[in-house]
This record gives sequence, structure tokens and C-alpha cells, in this order.
Amino acid sequence: MEQFFQQLTNGLAVGGIYALIALGYTMVYGVMKLINFAHGDLFTLGSYLGLSLLTSLALTENIGAFMGVIALAILVMALVGIVGVVLERAAYRPLRESPRLSAVVSALGASIVLSNGIMLIYGAKYLFYPQNILPSMTIPIFGLPVPLMRIIILVTSLVMMAALYLFIQKTTIGTAIRAAAIDQGAARLMGINVDMVIMMVFMIGPALGGAAGLMVGLYYGNINFTMGWVYGLKAFTAAILGGIGNIPGAMVGGILLGVIESLGAAYISLAWKDAIAFFVLILILIVRPTGLLGERVAEKV
Amino acid sequence: MKRIFILALALCLISTGSVFAAGKTVRIGLMGPMTGPWASEGQEMKQVLDLLAEDINKAGGINGMQVEVIAEDDAGDPRTAALASQRLSTRDVVAVVGTYGSSVTEATQTIYDESEIIQVANGSTAVRLSEKGLNFFFRTCPRDDEQGRVAAQTIKKLAYKNVAILHDNTTYAKGLANEAKALLVKEKDIKIVFFDALTPGERDYNTLLTKLKGSKPDVVFFTGYYPEAGLLLRQKRELGFTAPFIGGDATNHPDLVKIAGVEAAKDFYFLSAPLPKDLPSAEATSFVKGFEAKYGNSPNSIYAVLAGDGFRVVVEAIKNAKSVKSNDIAKYLHTKLTDFPGLTGTISFNEKGDRVGDVYRVYRVDAAGNFILQP
Repeated sequence: MEQFFQQLTNGLAVGGIYALIALGYTMVYGVMKLINFAHGDLFTLGSYLGLSLLTSLALTENIGAFMGVIALAILVMALVGIVGVVLERAAYRPLRESPRLSAVVSALGASIVLSNGIMLIYGAKYLFYPQNILPSMTIPIFGLPVPLMRIIILVTSLVMMAALYLFIQKTTIGTAIRAAAIDQGAARLMGINVDMVIMMVFMIGPALGGAAGLMVGLYYGNINFTMGWVYGLKAFTAAILGGIGNIPGAMVGGILLGVIESLGAAYISLAWKDAIAFFVLILILIVRPTGLLGERVAEKV
Repeated sequence: MKRIFILALALCLISTGSVFAAGKTVRIGLMGPMTGPWASEGQEMKQVLDLLAEDINKAGGINGMQVEVIAEDDAGDPRTAALASQRLSTRDVVAVVGTYGSSVTEATQTIYDESEIIQVANGSTAVRLSEKGLNFFFRTCPRDDEQGRVAAQTIKKLAYKNVAILHDNTTYAKGLANEAKALLVKEKDIKIVFFDALTPGERDYNTLLTKLKGSKPDVVFFTGYYPEAGLLLRQKRELGFTAPFIGGDATNHPDLVKIAGVEAAKDFYFLSAPLPKDLPSAEATSFVKGFEAKYGNSPNSIYAVLAGDGFRVVVEAIKNAKSVKSNDIAKYLHTKLTDFPGLTGTISFNEKGDRVGDVYRVYRVDAAGNFILQP
């Protein structure tokens, strides 16, 4: 039983990160019907920028560990958000009127440019976050020692997701984003600046991905330029699992994928971990082709 | 008209290419992971070969011919490697050094063999690579059956009873895990309590470690690569899992300690060909000095040094066989090259192209993160 709870916390910690990255996929897909394959690399970029800022500004030494990390997170999110906007301008806006396939190819190209750009700037070697920025202590939950960092990761992910959900549901800009997701043409007729909405989406999604990158760097301690691929793939799966285009779906999908992976590996087979996760994905898609929380959208003719 | 022009252009290119080869240059290819997950290995392989070629050219070349290193990127990926090997075989290379991963090398073996190009692998230790009867295939690294033997022997010597074996499903890691397992099950008082694979390239191995901890091993033999080994050590410490880990030779990399952290890496054992710093030979000392002078740090990876050895045996063979024909070079390497003073010890090849001799050593990580050669 203890092992079961241990595995559950393992799954939740990984799932929280998947969910945070999945939000970026799902937001872009919701508004533009485009899979932003470069999203995994924006995640990587977040962890590299985090390391650069951490070592150059020495924030954690000047204003304390926790405040320093929060300031760092805000900086990283802002920077990655700007890169996201630039990416949209350079790689997607010129193709907005083209067939959807062209934009997907452009996304794959952007992914390669970003990951190899990171390699050229930072080098191919593993880079390392300084150790023990945040205290590596454990907190007993139901008699189980859970590392503080894992709790912070999960809580931070949940808080950010909740904030995003409220932003989308309660604010005017959020309403505009939802309107553009339903019908861009009609939204434009209602006086919504769709270009601005798309820019917002490309700022928020990558910013969340960047925050996830920073958390991965801080917790696991090492980063390299290819790590976005695995996380991107898993998060993409999570977004589909929950219903792509749907924000609560991405959160549910991410956390569920993490837990399925963890329990599947623990009780069925370790080597088949990914196969089990994808098998569950297929099962869910057979029963609910739109994903867990996805709505059935009529095909536009 | 356009077609004729392109044809003429192509002919021109082909003829200039062959003039080069027949003239004053010997081209030696390097196939390595310049990008991708093992890019640091490949880039250091290139640094080593560039340095060695520079030294040879400064000293007048091989029998008066200058050496040119032509590097191609295999990205640590079998499909990319197949393309890289095809590109190299059209560029008049005499021999190709590389590559690192066994599955990657395997994808290119027949391509080089059909083009009659010597291939000297530097990090591919999977047994079956040299069991195919390929005349032009050599390797400067030892084989996994030898490594498995040393691993089993080490586990026995350290008197562990319940052994967990963990691999990552790559040709190399799985092969080594199977070799070690086959030897260990023969021992009466040793029990294999865990045998499974992880997925390389991930960041979080807590699930695996929790499961591993539940099987209560005295020791874990991990046959995969250093990035995963480092993460395993780091996360096992956090989990309060205290069983010691022994790694295969792919865990030998200074970054292992950086990934794991000094405290977590302490008392990690691994098997490896000796590091350059542990070789008293004059060749190794002067090579390390030259490398430091040119690049500002000492070589990190033993595989880069083994690639250097691959390059040096090819140069030696061309020099002494006085030929750049593959058959002559292969014949020289198979039969005449004995106890060549390599950077990683003396080198001879058997009829399969495998390196002969006792290469593996056992290392332990000390409290400061240094790799200490075990007696």
C-alpha cells in the first residue's frame, strides 16, 4: 500500500508538468487548429533561460531563495512568452491563409530551428542548475516522506492552471479568446481583434511551457537541448487524452497520463510503460473520440 | 541543354574528387553523434581526430600524404547514420572511424562493407557486430561479453547476493544486461531479483526506483548511459534508497557526477576502459597534454579517446602497408598489427576485428566526485 501511494505521488508530480505543457498545445489548437510542434522546444528554452538568469543575476542570493525563484519564474515566463509571439509572427502568421498542412510543416521546422539554435548557443553538453537552491527536504504526508520540491511543482502547476482557467472564463480578453476559438470570422465581425487574441495565446501558452521548463531544471538539476522532445510528445498526448482545444481537459489529461504511466509501470511492466499509456489513450479515444472532456464540434463546411 | 550542363558539372566534380584522392591527401571519415542526445561524445570525437590529424600533418603526413578528416553527423540515430554512411562512402574515404552507439553502428556496417571502406567503431560494444564475418569492420572498444564477465566477477567479488539488473532496451545495454544475467544465474548464492528496462531520455525515474526498491536488491547493475545513471543516483538518494549501483562503461563520463550531485554519486562503481589519466604510457600523457593545450580542458570521454585510437591504427596501417587500399589495410590490421601502443593501452585485433586483451577496469566515485581506479 505504501508503494501504491508512493507511485501515486510520483505520477502526480510528473503529471503536473505534463499538464502545464499540455495547456500550451491545447490553447494554440483551440484558437488556430494548429499543433504547435515547437512548443516542446519553448519548454526547453525556458529551462535554459532560467539557468542563464539564475547564474547571471544571482537572484536567489540577493532576495532569498523563494522570492528569488518566483522572480526568476516571472522573468522566464515573460521572455519565453515574447519568443512565442515572435515565433507566431515569423513562422505561423505568413501561413495563416495557407492549407493547414503548411503550418504544421512550418511548426516542425520551427521546432528544429529552436532546438538546434539552443544547441549552437549553449552547446550540446548537459548543463546543470546549481544544487540546493531550494531546500531539499521531505514532508510526511500520511506517513510517506514526500520531497518538498514535488509538492511545490504540483501546487504551482495547479495554481497556474486555475489562474488560466479563471482568466479565460472571467475576463474580457478570455472571452475574446473563447470567441476566436469558436469562429474566427464571426469574432472579427463582433469587433474582436483576432490577431491580438492569437498573439495573447502565443504568449500565455509558451509562458506556461517556459515555467514548466524552469521547474524541471530546478528539480531534476540537469538540462539538455533535446529534452523538449520527450516532454512535448507526452504533453501532446495528454492534451489529446483530455480533449484537445479544451483547457480543463489538458489539466485532467496531463495528470491522468502521469498517473497511468506511473501505476502501469509499477504494476504491469516497466519497459512497456509508454505502450501502456498509449494503449489507454487509444481505448479512451475509441470510447470518446474527442477525448475525455472534448466537446463534439460539428465539422465546419 | 540544362541536363547536359549538369552532367558535365557532375563529371567535373567526380574527376576532381578522384584527383584529390590519388594525389597528396588521405581522407579518413569520422561518423559520430555531432547533434542529438550524445552530441557531446561526437563533438569530442571530432576534437580528438582534428588534433591527431593536425599533429600528423605537421610531422609531414602519412608517407608524405596529408590527412583530411571528413566528419559526418549520425545524430545518434540509426536512420540518420545510414544516410551519413552513404554520404561518406561517396567521398573517397579510406576508412571511417565511428561510431558510439551499437545500434547506430549496426545500421551502417553493411553500407561500409559493400563500399569496401574500413570501419573502426569506437564505442559500439554489442557482441553481434563482429560476429557477421565482415572483413572491414574493426573496433577499439572491447565487447560486451568481456564486460559482462568483468561485471559478474565484480559483483561476486563484492559479495552481493540479491542482484537487480536494469537496462534501457538499446542494443548495447540490453546485450550487456543479458551477458551479465547469463553469468550470474550460474552462481549458486546469487539471485537476480529484478530485470527490466527504463525509457532513456526522461527526467523522472522515481516510479522505477520505487519499484526497484520494493524488490530489495543488495546491488543494482545498470547497463545504460550516463545521463540516466546520474538521474537514477540523484533520485535514489532523495528516495532514501541505499543499495549501491554499478554501471556499465557507458556511465563513464564526468557529467555523471554533475547530474547526480557529488553526494549522490559517491560510491558508485562502474566498469570502463582505463581513463587517459590512469595510463602511464608516454602516448597517453602527451596526447592529453596536447588536447589540453588546444581545447583548454582534458578529454572528458573515453570513447573520444578510443576514436583517437581507431584513427591512429588506421594511420599506422596505411603507413606500414604503404597502401590506401582497403584490402591491404584490413590485412595489416588483422595480421600484422600487434601490441600497437594506443592511447588506451596496447592494441591488436583478432580475425573478427575485435580488440584483443584485457581492457576493462573497475572505477569507484569518491567523496569529491573523482573516478578512482580500483585495484
